[in-house]
Order: sequence, then C-alpha cells, then structure tokens
Amino acid sequence: MTILEFLSDRLASLLIQAAFAAITFLFLLATGTQAGVLYLLCVVWFLAFLCAQAIDFFRLSSRLRELNQIMESLDQKYLFYECIPKSRNIYERRLTDLFRRAGKSMIGAVSDAQAAQREYREYVESWVHEIKTPITAAGLICRNAEPDTRRKLSPELAQIEAHVERALFYARAKSPEKDFILRRTELGEIVAQSVDQHKALLIQNGIRVETSGLAQTVYTDGKWAAFILGQLLQNAVRYRSMDSNPVIILSAKPLGKQVQLTVTDNGIGIPAHELPRVFDRGFTGSNGRIRSGSTGMGLYLCRKLADCLELELQISSQPAHFPDFRPAAGSGTRITLTFPAVHSSSD
Amino acid sequence: MQKILIIEDDPAIRDELSLLLKNEGYSPFAPAGFTNIPSQAAQYAPDLILLDINLPGRDGFSLCAELRKIIQAPIIFVTSRDSGLDEVRALSLGGDDYITKPYSVPVLLARIKAVLRRTGKAAAPSDILEYGGLRLNLTKGIVSAETESEAATKTETAILTRNELQILACLMSHAGEIVSRADLIEALWDNQIYIDDNTLSVNVTRLRGKLAQLGFPDFIKTRRGMGYQL
Repeated sequence: MTILEFLSDRLASLLIQAAFAAITFLFLLATGTQAGVLYLLCVVWFLAFLCAQAIDFFRLSSRLRELNQIMESLDQKYLFYECIPKSRNIYERRLTDLFRRAGKSMIGAVSDAQAAQREYREYVESWVHEIKTPITAAGLICRNAEPDTRRKLSPELAQIEAHVERALFYARAKSPEKDFILRRTELGEIVAQSVDQHKALLIQNGIRVETSGLAQTVYTDGKWAAFILGQLLQNAVRYRSMDSNPVIILSAKPLGKQVQLTVTDNGIGIPAHELPRVFDRGFTGSNGRIRSGSTGMGLYLCRKLADCLELELQISSQPAHFPDFRPAAGSGTRITLTFPAVHSSSD
Repeated sequence: MQKILIIEDDPAIRDELSLLLKNEGYSPFAPAGFTNIPSQAAQYAPDLILLDINLPGRDGFSLCAELRKIIQAPIIFVTSRDSGLDEVRALSLGGDDYITKPYSVPVLLARIKAVLRRTGKAAAPSDILEYGGLRLNLTKGIVSAETESEAATKTETAILTRNELQILACLMSHAGEIVSRADLIEALWDNQIYIDDNTLSVNVTRLRGKLAQLGFPDFIKTRRGMGYQL
C-alpha cells in the first residue's frame, strides 16, 4: 500500500476535517482570538493530525505485509483464512470471519469434488478390472473355436480390449495420484508387448513391422509406455495408405544419456496446419472426419501419460494429397518418443 | 504329465482354460469351491499353480502366502489387477510370475513353460527337430540332411536366416498337418518376426531353394487355398 493509496482511501474524511478546521479558525478569528495564538494552535493541531495518520498508515501497511507473507508461504492458497492471526481491529475481525465462512464452504466444495473424482476413478478402475474377466473368457473360448471364427472374432476382441485400456488410462491420467513405477525396462520388451497386444489388428490389415536397434535400456513404466506405443500403432493402422504396402518402422537410438524411439509409418499423413492440434482432446482432424472410428482421444492420452513419465513426444508428418488420398511419394507420419536419461545409481 | 492347479472364480475361464491346457498336454485341475484351497492343493500336489487375485471371500495375496507354507510348487498370478504395486506385492509374496488379464494365449503358455523349466519341473525343450530325413538345429539355425551315396553317408548343411528357421520350425512341429498362411504369420509374430503376407511368400521361396540344394525339392508342399504342408 502506498501513501497515495492510503490518502485517497481517506479523502472524504480528510476533506471534512480540513473544512471543519478552517471554519473553526475563521470563527475564532472573527470572535477576536489573536492571530499568533491561532497560528500556534494551527501548527500543534496539524502535527497531532499528521502523527495519527502516520501511525494508522504504518499499522495498516505492516499488517498487509504480514498477510502477504502468509499467503506467499502457503501451498494451498485457499487455506489462507485458516492461517491468519487474529486482528485487534473489530472491523477486520468481522471481515475475516465472513471470509473464513466463505472459505470453509469453498474448501468443502473442493474436497467434495475431489472425493467424487476419486470415487469415479475407483469405479472406472474396478469396472475395467471386472470387464477383463469376461474378455479373457471370450478370448479363451475364441481360441478353442474353429479357426475361421477365431480369425474373425479375435480382432473384435482386440478392439474391445483397446477401448477398455483407453478408459482405464484415461481415468489414471486424470487423477492426481499417479500409480506407475519407474524402473529399468528393456525397450525391446515394451515394443514386443505392445505389438503382441495389437497382433490381430496388425496382421489382419497386412501391416509389416520392422524393428531396429531396440536393444536399449530405458527408465520408465513398461505398461504405460506400451500403452502409448499401442495408441501409435493403432493410429498407424487406421490411417494407413491404401495404395502401398503398409509398413511401420520402430527404431531406437541412444541420444546422449537418453533413448529415442521413432515410430514411422507410410500412411496418409497429417496436413501441416493440423499438426499442432493432434494432441488436443477430441481433435480428429480432416483424416478423422473421413475415416470412421476416430475418437480424438488416443494422442491426447499419449501426451498426458507421456508428461507423467517425462517422455518427450514429437510428431512430424508428410501428408498425402487431399482430398482423394493419393499419397505423394514418401507420405507418412513420424513420431519420436524420447525416454529420459537412465539414472545410473538406481536399479 | 504336469499337473496344473487353476484357482479362478469365473466358471467360463475355468472351463476354457482347463480345456486349453489339456490340449497342450498338461493335466489341469480347477476346483469350483474356495473353502479350503490349501488342503485341496496339498492333496492334489500340483507342479504349478495359476492363481487369481480377486477371489470370493479372500484375496489371492493371502492365499499365496498360505500356499507357500504348505507346498513348493511355483505360483503364477493371473489377474486383471494391473497396477505396478500389485505386481511387486505378488512377486514379493513368493509368486513366480505375474500375468495380467486379458492375456494372449501363446504368452500364457510360454510363461507356464518358462516357469516349469526354471523350477526344474520340465526338461528344456529339444533344440533339434527331425522329419523326413531333415534335421533342424534351432540354436545353431542350421538345417542338415544325411545323404547316403555309394561309399559313405555324408551330411550336407544349409544355414537359415531367422525367418526361414522359424517357418521351418513351425512346419516341422506340425509335421503332416496343413498349416495355413495366417497361422504361420501368427506363429512368426509370436517370435517377434513381424512380416506381412508378401514377405512370407518370399521367405518360403528362399527356404524351398535352400532345401532343394540339400536334395529336398518338394519338402514343403503348397495346398492351394489352405496353406503349407510337409
């Protein structure tokens, strides 16, 4: 609080005091008091007035400074009213009481919302676990069925699995408590796990997967990383080009202490102006509008989970000509995942 | 025959898994009641236990600890709970492996085999396959044929690439049966060879060429519209 602010706050009261002082002096002068005495009175009164204002100013500004410091030191700012020391000033005390009541109801609302979110997440997680039992049973039944039925049914089951997994990871990514475990993992195993999960989908669509340089150790949560990779594989299948043999190339190379995994496909690609938005929630783009089954959730989830794992996600793409999907030579999308450096001391 | 105890509360999974394991040459046993698992297990004396975590009335973790006290058989957790913490807990309680539902059947079978081998309940698989005069060495990646000429028997060999080796191994382990192209591709994918239909054709042609040089030109027969057959 500056002196100017302080004074402008009290402008009305100061003006009234000055006016009354002037009237009093004029009255005293008119009733015959000597000018010297009046002059002395004027100086004394003015000094007293100044002192009172100064004391007020310093008291208020030091109080404000104190409150500011408390606010700065708080982690949860909304708990401010629980922490301020009691004031001697009646007006401030009343005001604080009012705000404290408002704050209390706010804290209640916040914790209710948090509890509701936690309950919802717990329900989704338990639901996902429940649904996995019938999916497993269906998978086993499908396995023991005749080959033709099996080949038709297993991609559908794989689709169900993929949707369920997305729901689970969506619930996980939304919650503040993150339940992943970072540890040394073989990149090759992550890739194998992810490709295996999407085997039915990839084979059915005649995709060839090439791998190179995957014998790397990364420091991450294998399941989460495999999920992210799985989303990229699903996208590569969905947006494959119809003209050439679809290929997905998974290659890795060390980059200093980091490891970089590149997923390259020869699909229809993404127009340059849509690239910055592909990680947005619900963004399907022009490709998604034309092809069915796009949810706009896959890459959004990838970004969310990658942020948790401190993975760096980069995308570049060479689109095919639009709108008739004739791929230009070398159309395709390349996504780079950079794993954080392996901590040398931990295991 | 190895005995596998399946502790699983879903009847459909219990039945289908039993059927599957029976087809794979194991002797499965899946009790439907969960009242006295440890004593049932002790009586049955399994070589391996597949244990679900979410069981009616109790959870698999405490059951695992209890089972560990009575029998030495390896325990594989098979569960839909897939958080990292559950896995760490399961393994620290004496579980030998941890598989999450929904699992792929080849992965489940491979893990069962691996655990049985690790605990000495099963012999390491033979790395040599033989059929019709051809001998395939899986570890060396070599196929050899013994040809008897007038004077002496001499052994001719050919070195196979990874893809060719897996194709031949898959065909030889299903000797006499028709193996469809789709099955062959799936078997290769299970071995982390992610090829498409065209590449399979190219590889089979090359493999045939190598076998022809060894004197087996028609070893792999094409069954039109169905697949390949030895």
